Amino acid sequence: MKALLIGEYREGKLLDSTNELFGFAAQLGAETAMLLVGSDSALPSYGGTLYLADAAVCGEYNPDLHKQLIVEAVGRENPDCIVLMHSSYGWDLAPRVAAALKSAQVSEVTGIVADGFEVGCCNAKMRRTVKPSTAKAVITIQGGAFPAQAPGGSPQVVKVSGAAGGGLEFLGYEPAEKKGVDLTKAEVIVSAGRGVSKKDNIPLIQALATALKGELGASRPVVDAGWVEHSHQVGTTGQTVSPKLYVACGISGAIQHLAGMKKADFIVAINKDRDAPIGEVADVLVVADVLQFVPALTARIGR
Amino acid sequence: MKVLVCIKQVPDLESRFKPNAEGLWFNETDLAWRMNEYDEYAVEQAVRLREQLGEGAELTVLSIGPDRVVEAIKKALAMGADKAVHVQDPAVAGKDPWQVASIIAAYAKGEGFDIIFTGLQSQDRGSAQVGVSVAEQLGYACSTTLVGFEYDSGTIIAKRELEGGLKGVVKLKTPALVTCQLGLNVPRYPTLPNIMKAKKKEIAQIAVADLLVEEPVAATVSFHAPARKGGGIVLEGALEDLVDRLMGILNEKTAVLR
Amino acid sequence: MEATREIYWNVGHGVVWPMYLFAFVAMGIAAWGFWRRLAVYRQGRALNRVDQLPRRIALMLQGMLAQGKVVRVLDPGILHALFFWGFGLLFIGTLLIMAQADFSVPVFGIVFLKGTFYQLFSLVLDVAGLVALVMLCGLLVRRFFIKPDGLETIRDDYVVHALLLAIVLTGFVTEGVRMAATELAVNPGLARFSPVGLLVARAFASLSAEELLLTHKVLWWVHFFLAVAFIAAIPFTKLRHIFTTSANYLFCDLGPKGALATINLEDETVEQFGAATIADLSWKDIFDADACTSCKRCQDRCPASATGKPLSPMKVVKQIGELARTNPAGNLIDTVSRDALWSCTTCRSCQEICPANVEHVNKIIEMRRNLTLMEGEFPGDEVRTAASNIEVNGNPFGLAYASRGDWADGLPVTLMESGEEVDILYFVGCYASFDKRNREIARSFVTICAAAGIKVGILGKEEKCCGEPVRKLGNEYLYQMMAQENIELIKAYRVKRIVTTCPHCFNTLARDYKDLGLDLPVEHYSTFVNRLIGDGSLQLSPTPEPFDFTYHDSCYLGRYMDIIDEPRQVLLAAGGRLTEMDRSGMDSFCCSAGGGRILAEEKLGGRISAERVKMAQQTGAPLLVSNCPFCLTMFEDGIKTGGCEGELKVRDLAEIVAERIRA
Repeated sequence: MKALLIGEYREGKLLDSTNELFGFAAQLGAETAMLLVGSDSALPSYGGTLYLADAAVCGEYNPDLHKQLIVEAVGRENPDCIVLMHSSYGWDLAPRVAAALKSAQVSEVTGIVADGFEVGCCNAKMRRTVKPSTAKAVITIQGGAFPAQAPGGSPQVVKVSGAAGGGLEFLGYEPAEKKGVDLTKAEVIVSAGRGVSKKDNIPLIQALATALKGELGASRPVVDAGWVEHSHQVGTTGQTVSPKLYVACGISGAIQHLAGMKKADFIVAINKDRDAPIGEVADVLVVADVLQFVPALTARIGR
Repeated sequence: MKVLVCIKQVPDLESRFKPNAEGLWFNETDLAWRMNEYDEYAVEQAVRLREQLGEGAELTVLSIGPDRVVEAIKKALAMGADKAVHVQDPAVAGKDPWQVASIIAAYAKGEGFDIIFTGLQSQDRGSAQVGVSVAEQLGYACSTTLVGFEYDSGTIIAKRELEGGLKGVVKLKTPALVTCQLGLNVPRYPTLPNIMKAKKKEIAQIAVADLLVEEPVAATVSFHAPARKGGGIVLEGALEDLVDRLMGILNEKTAVLR
Repeated sequence: MEATREIYWNVGHGVVWPMYLFAFVAMGIAAWGFWRRLAVYRQGRALNRVDQLPRRIALMLQGMLAQGKVVRVLDPGILHALFFWGFGLLFIGTLLIMAQADFSVPVFGIVFLKGTFYQLFSLVLDVAGLVALVMLCGLLVRRFFIKPDGLETIRDDYVVHALLLAIVLTGFVTEGVRMAATELAVNPGLARFSPVGLLVARAFASLSAEELLLTHKVLWWVHFFLAVAFIAAIPFTKLRHIFTTSANYLFCDLGPKGALATINLEDETVEQFGAATIADLSWKDIFDADACTSCKRCQDRCPASATGKPLSPMKVVKQIGELARTNPAGNLIDTVSRDALWSCTTCRSCQEICPANVEHVNKIIEMRRNLTLMEGEFPGDEVRTAASNIEVNGNPFGLAYASRGDWADGLPVTLMESGEEVDILYFVGCYASFDKRNREIARSFVTICAAAGIKVGILGKEEKCCGEPVRKLGNEYLYQMMAQENIELIKAYRVKRIVTTCPHCFNTLARDYKDLGLDLPVEHYSTFVNRLIGDGSLQLSPTPEPFDFTYHDSCYLGRYMDIIDEPRQVLLAAGGRLTEMDRSGMDSFCCSAGGGRILAEEKLGGRISAERVKMAQQTGAPLLVSNCPFCLTMFEDGIKTGGCEGELKVRDLAEIVAERIRA
């Protein structure tokens, strides 16, 4: 079993998530090669073959060219699967590779099982086992689903390059709005989800965060509704956090949010739905009405 | 100018899902249906583009599925699409993204659409493949995860939502396909005159057999509820009791209260 | 001496033709004034308000003459009523004089203003005039010196008060001068029957005979021209309300309270929904502005006005009138403002108290219909989400419709789809089905029915929102969609009788659904339970000590359906001791959730529910009882945010009764 791993590089840095690709490959028991459009000043800690294209020349976002480079690398390595992160880079690129290789794609894999790959569906409430039937398969893996394990060593770099195709031109990045709160450094985060019901109730959650000497976090719907400012958003399009304690208040556990907080040391979920998907990752699920439980808990801590 | 928007009808995600008899997808009993949320943004953006282009532009909405998907199609027509195509396929849920994309591509091939809009992914399957696959099969320029869209004379300026609040700005030349992310715009609520007009708009019916040529490339082996993770404690009961027990656990397992 | 008076004494019969000439000219001017206003009313759509004419005429006469609605608010109602009756009597007196002088005497030679009748006539008119004068002064003091909050005084008011005062005063002085010449010395026995005139006469006693004659002649003509001016001024000043407000009694809405026009959505020719300009309103909507006397009673009672929201029912009515006169093509909604429109809870306090029969609420809903159906606007994103949820899952919460009947698990309730016979269909409603606190109402009701041997059926997951909140917000389309689904099911199950625990569902199913083809007995559980107690099917065993409580009349049960006494009877039968709030019964103060606002966040002004909770607290009772799931929800919230937890509890009538059923 051989896997061609596709690393991610942005704004001059090798993304940490790249190491999760190794973790996946390890679980699969596959030997690996890697392709990265990046820079030789930011190489992964990995001893295998690394097909390296210069991002300064090929562009950090240039899907047609990146696809071409991958297809060429596939020709040279003949892997059984091509593995990308299920990220804004990966989900954009993977179907192009799959089309070019006439191969099946399995998206956002969360686990490897006997008869295939396990993926989430229906807002993480259910699971599917998918089995590709083509010789090769393109896989994207969910952020945080597999351990980040850099195998160690220095890569054997094979320089590659190509010419950009027409039709698409990358014009640059727009920085994120000023970060009010850096949740990545917080030791305790108490997050508000839709179960909080309305903006007026956010102070209740903030009060608990303060009582626990932590920060206020939020799920995407709460930020979209304008109840909390964007810098508090936890999840794939917000911040990925790893606090010592994460308290999810009225958060159902959509995949995008889970991906952002799964790595917390201890997770407490408060939700009136016993079957909420957040229960999957929570160490403790308190089945209660957020609006009643949180103030009661805050009061008790205060004593 | 011709514009296409592809939509999918999905079950309302508040529903309780159970595997169907074959254990390969969800049982459809007692499910409420709605347009895929990502597709609402796609339709809204397509309608806005159509309004910008004015006379001579035409917006078609397409959906694949059994008769019930006509409800979602009607909503798109009420939002402002000019006409619709319903690919009749009661068994679409069993097709993989590659096949679904091929059906759309087979329809779109001869039609000469300048821009195609789709949602980033569907809320039920969530594979995020169909849009890009259609673009690849048609040879269209493509970018995904749009939270910004501007069009002028054959050029699209798109803003992609990346991780951590960062955005990437991309220029595409038509013919192009874009997939839309939540928050791209604010989808309009159809006005009553538009709902009434939509009743008269054409919904062409095409049998899927006329478009499908691709074999499946991936199979769903099983659709099931997740195994309950062992080790997670579930606390239920009276409020004060719950507070007591959680405090006990926090004291025991974490250092936050010290 | 004879008890009679020479008509046209001193001024001579020669005054007759100029008198009638000027009078007719004045009436002509008045007619022309009204004619011009008629053109303004005609800008609105047609509306039939002259059907059942005998009944309407009776209502008008009764309303005008008895001044019933006017005196509902004693200050200044009684002032106006007495002034009206006084002035009215004076007017009748003048007519009687005309009848004799210009008709019965020249044609038949009959004099009837003589003897005892004339004595009575004189006394009554003098007293009437005095009362009118005193009341007028009272009204004047109130408007110009006391200046109650919110009472607008404009130039019109100065003119009208001055004119009326002058007429009454010159009337008395003219009389007094005449009496000084003809009765004071010569016929004191008769003079006694005009006591005010007598007083005035004494003041003029010192004048010489020529002076008296001259003064009298001048005053007579002054008084006459003031009266002529009065007539001509009617359509151009607030005096027009004599006709317009009276006419509004004639044109009143004879339909059930709170009925809305059901839009025919099948009609493909209709392109305009709701009201965006004057032309979209009915003529009656424009006429209401002229019938309105700016008494501000509606504004005083409006819960939105009371909490600082930019809505004043009176202002909306006046704005419509002004726009119709000055800029009929102008945008109605921009003039009234969206904030004002969305703030209305449709509580009907305004319409209920209005002594001019103005219809405030439906104008607001027509404008909301325009915003929702033509513009796709909502008062907030949360309302849009709720509407989407209703569309997808048949409830505003967005919870899976399949779980709508779960509250009844394990309870003696029959699902209609089972095909079993039931005594009643219990239409549960969204809140009692899904909301944790309100499920207690549903459970309590089932307990009550079980104890009374009533077999209860529910639609369960087939039940959809009745559609009322979105209808009141203007979304007629979504309302009809939900309604049709419910009606089809109810008909298919051959339901005989429906009972509901929600006044909003009650109003909608009992009244609104008739327009869509459902005509069945629909009851609110408070009257249903009252009957069960009455006929012995339900026996209560009150606790040994009476429980102290205060009772909140919900808008949709009280003002809309006139159900005030029965719920109280039920609670008294349950052993309660009631302390009424000041604002109770038809004067009850809204909880804020009506008009679809249960779906919206209250962003402007103070919290209406907190105001009401304060009123409940002030009674000293530890328990507030309500009869509506919206009220229950708002008051639970109001108690928390108002900090009265522990002091005041709120519970539904069903819960109280269910706990006191004799085992």
